[in-house]
Amino acid sequence: MSLAIETLKLTKAYGRKARGIEGVDLAVEEGEVFGFLGPNGAGKTTTVRTLLGFLRPTGGRGEVFGLDIGKESVEIRARVGNLPGEFALEDKMTGEGLLKYFAGLRGVKDLGYARELSERLGAELHRPMRRLSRGNKQKIGLVQAMFHRPPLLMLDEPTGGLDPLVQEEFLDIIEEVKAEGRTVFFSSHNLAEVERVCDRVGIIRGGRLAAVETTETLIDKSLRHVVLTFEGGVDPKPFQDLSGIRDLKGDGNRISFTLYDDLDEMVKLAARHRLVNMEYERPSLEEVFLTYYERENGEG
Amino acid sequence: MSTTVDQGGRERRTPRGTLFALVSHTNRMQARSVIIWGAALGLYSAAMVASFTAIEGSADQLNQLMEAYPKGMLEAFGVTDLGDPANYLHSQFFGLAPLALSFFTILALAGALAGAEERGTIDVLLGNPLPRWQLVVGNFLATSFSLLGICAVVGLLIWGTAVLVDVELSLRHITDGVLNLWPICTVFGALALLCSALFHRRALAISIPAFLLFGMYLIDAVGRASEDLEDWRPASVFYYYGSAIEKGIDWMHFGGITLMALALVLLAALAFQRRDIYT
Repeated sequence: MSLAIETLKLTKAYGRKARGIEGVDLAVEEGEVFGFLGPNGAGKTTTVRTLLGFLRPTGGRGEVFGLDIGKESVEIRARVGNLPGEFALEDKMTGEGLLKYFAGLRGVKDLGYARELSERLGAELHRPMRRLSRGNKQKIGLVQAMFHRPPLLMLDEPTGGLDPLVQEEFLDIIEEVKAEGRTVFFSSHNLAEVERVCDRVGIIRGGRLAAVETTETLIDKSLRHVVLTFEGGVDPKPFQDLSGIRDLKGDGNRISFTLYDDLDEMVKLAARHRLVNMEYERPSLEEVFLTYYERENGEG
Repeated sequence: MSTTVDQGGRERRTPRGTLFALVSHTNRMQARSVIIWGAALGLYSAAMVASFTAIEGSADQLNQLMEAYPKGMLEAFGVTDLGDPANYLHSQFFGLAPLALSFFTILALAGALAGAEERGTIDVLLGNPLPRWQLVVGNFLATSFSLLGICAVVGLLIWGTAVLVDVELSLRHITDGVLNLWPICTVFGALALLCSALFHRRALAISIPAFLLFGMYLIDAVGRASEDLEDWRPASVFYYYGSAIEKGIDWMHFGGITLMALALVLLAALAFQRRDIYT
């Protein structure tokens, strides 16, 4: 399968004041949905803006659909639908005006798909931007990124500000895009949506690509918050001795801890007692990052 | 619509097509400003034309009164014969108009790059297949067209008033007067564009051309009044501006100032091509 995005030691240094990205090696296959994860300031936006030619790389190289990011950025942008992280538009413009303008720039004659997307996301196209809420602006941002059916979508925090129903509709659209064989590269802080639509994820930390994993692997590598409730009092010591257990708290018949290892030993130990309830909570994406980073640093 | 088909069979707009889309969109966005600027300056200039009828009868006395003023001061403001409607309009309007009208181009073109970066709107726009040089050139072209629109509104209001109050001003002279505003205002707009491309700060892209605008005006005005400073006048673009409503357009100077503006736009395009886009 050919690559939609490929970077080799891609580096962008801003000087002393701010950190950019360093030596990023990334390969995103055509047709996959790739989640790009990392805490704020990790380098997600810098990577996307460098790929689109907004920032000049200070080292390494990158290609999008085999086109050089330095020399062929216009050709690249013709094939990409971009939603910036901080989506902003001229206050006077309406969504309708924006779509007509961008259709003019892209040579798109038929706005049928734009109207279909607007309807599905509930975007208000006839009000000026200054009168729209953040969520409504974001809907217009999504429509302008997708209306020309680009082979690659680059979406920075696409569901920020959207209500749950619209988020659900957006994820349906992403699945349709994937089914059409198009590629999606998106950053998100929402683990549930990453898990639902992404085939693989890349984790960036401190400007460096820490890992690229399948989504399943990422989730499996992460921690779980566990609360066990027993019929009678249970000694927490044997649980403390298990590998991968942290922050253990015992309170009579209730034991809570964070599990960083696989379940098997813990479940077997719990089964020696009469178990009344077991809560097994998925972590936030932030916790996944922290866990992952600690392991990478050999702290875990 | 001008389009081409790429290797993947996708239809794409040609560079000429994207430039046309950018210019026509920018002109639509500037239409309101054109009306406001045109109406404001046009009504002021029309009032000056109308006021000429009040002094027309006593022009000789006024000219005698003016002789009491220092000659250099009169030259600084371009006053030679207040009985001549063209000279009256030059001294009351056309001599000063570039100081005001240049702010239309300065504000518009400082906002095109640095302003868009500060508002955070540039990433969305450049997410389209729009070459950076087109953003520079397209905004310059659109603002130049809008400036022509303002000049046309001003010219029509002057001419209409002149016909209405029966002041002897030919359409040809009025056209020369308003058209001569175009290159000088364009130069300061192009300078704002260059500062915008270099410094990506809207405040700098406005203040540097504004400072030079007033500085050059003063150099020319004081140079006309003082022999000591006369040698400095060629350093000012106002030296080449002249009084087209009285003497017609000096096409050599008109072309020279226009070339200067184009050179600044070229430098702006080169500077913007090389730098990072800031948000």
